[in-house]
Amino acid sequence: MTLPGPEPTGREAVVRVAAVGDIHLGEDCAGLLRPAFEALPDCADLLLLAGDLTRHGSVAEAEVVAGEIAGLGVPVVAVLGNHDHHADTPDEVTRVLRDAGAHVLEGESAVLPVAGHKVGVAGAKGFCGGFLGRSAGEFGEPEMKAFVRTARRGAERLARALGELAEHGCAVRIALTHFSPVPDTLAGEPLEIYPFLGSYLLAEAIDAHGADLAVHGHAHLGTEHGMTAGGVRVRNVAQPVIDHAFALYRLPLDGHPTRPHAPTARYGTR
Amino acid sequence: MTERPEPYEDRAPGPGPYEDEYRIALLRERLAGDGPAELGVRVERRGGVVLLTGTVPTSTRREEILDLARATLTGLTVRTDVAVAGRDAPDHGEELS
Repeated sequence: MTLPGPEPTGREAVVRVAAVGDIHLGEDCAGLLRPAFEALPDCADLLLLAGDLTRHGSVAEAEVVAGEIAGLGVPVVAVLGNHDHHADTPDEVTRVLRDAGAHVLEGESAVLPVAGHKVGVAGAKGFCGGFLGRSAGEFGEPEMKAFVRTARRGAERLARALGELAEHGCAVRIALTHFSPVPDTLAGEPLEIYPFLGSYLLAEAIDAHGADLAVHGHAHLGTEHGMTAGGVRVRNVAQPVIDHAFALYRLPLDGHPTRPHAPTARYGTR
Repeated sequence: MTERPEPYEDRAPGPGPYEDEYRIALLRERLAGDGPAELGVRVERRGGVVLLTGTVPTSTRREEILDLARATLTGLTVRTDVAVAGRDAPDHGEELS
C-alpha cells in the first residue's frame, strides 16, 4: 500500500481564496484597505474583487483602488461592477487596474498556479433581469429587449470563460461576477428589487459548465451563503455583508472537481 | 351631547403626509444619484419618523448621507442606524470541502 506523498510544496493541498466586493472607494479613500490587504500573503493564495471597486467609476477612483492592490504579493483577479461603469469609462478603469497587476475579467478567465495545481477563475460582471419565474423577457419595446439582451450576453460571456477553464484541467474553478446568480444570497434585500440584483442566467451558465465556487457582490443587504440549483456554492462577498476587508474560503486542491451534471441546451452541447 | 373634535383642527400647516412620501422618494433618488452614488442605504418610514439603515465605507460618507437626509426631509424626524463597513482582515475562514 502506498500512502499519498506530501504536496510538492509540503503544504496541505488547499487553495485559500480571499474575496471582497463593493468596496466603493472614492478619491478620499486611499489607504483604507491597504493595511488589511498587506496581510494577504500570510493567509491567502489569491484575492478576488467582485466589482463596485469605485464609487463613480472615474479614473481617479480607479487609481485609488490600484494603490490598494498594487504589489500585494498575491495575484488579484477582478470584475467590474455597475458603479465602475457609471462614468462610462470602464475600459479606462480596467486599464488602470491592469497596470496595477490585476487580472480584470469580462468574459475571460485566469489560470493561477497554486501549490503545484491550477486554480481557474472565470469572470464577468453579469447583469440584472431576475430569477426563475420572476424575470424579464426579451419582448416588446427596444429598450426592454436591450435590457434583457444585456443580461443574456453577460451570462454568455461567463459561460464562455468557464468553458475556457475546462480546457486547462484546473483543480479548482471559480466563477466571479458582480451581479448575483441566485436569489439565496439576496435575503435581506427588499423582494421587489431582486430583479435588479442578479440573473438566473448566470447560475445556468455556472451549472452548465460546473464550478467549485461562485463569488459575487452587489447585494449590500443580502447574506453570504447560497447555492445554485446544480449544487455550486455561492458566496456574496459585498463588504457590507462580510463586514471585513475580505472573506476567506479554503477549497481542497486534491478533491474531485465539480463536474457539470449535463450541459444544458443554452450553454453547452449534449 | 358628545363633543366631537374637528377632524383636522390640530394639523400643522405645511406639507401633508402624502408630500412627505414624495420627499422620502426624492431622498432615495438623490442618494442613488451622481454625487452620493449610495445604493446601499435603505430609507423607510417608521411611524412618524424616517429611518436610514445600511452600511457605508467610511464615517465621512455616513455624515454626507445624514446631511443630505436632513436637508431633503426638513421638518421630519430622521433616525439613523447607518454602519461603517469593517475593514479588518478576518480572523478565520470557511472550509469548503
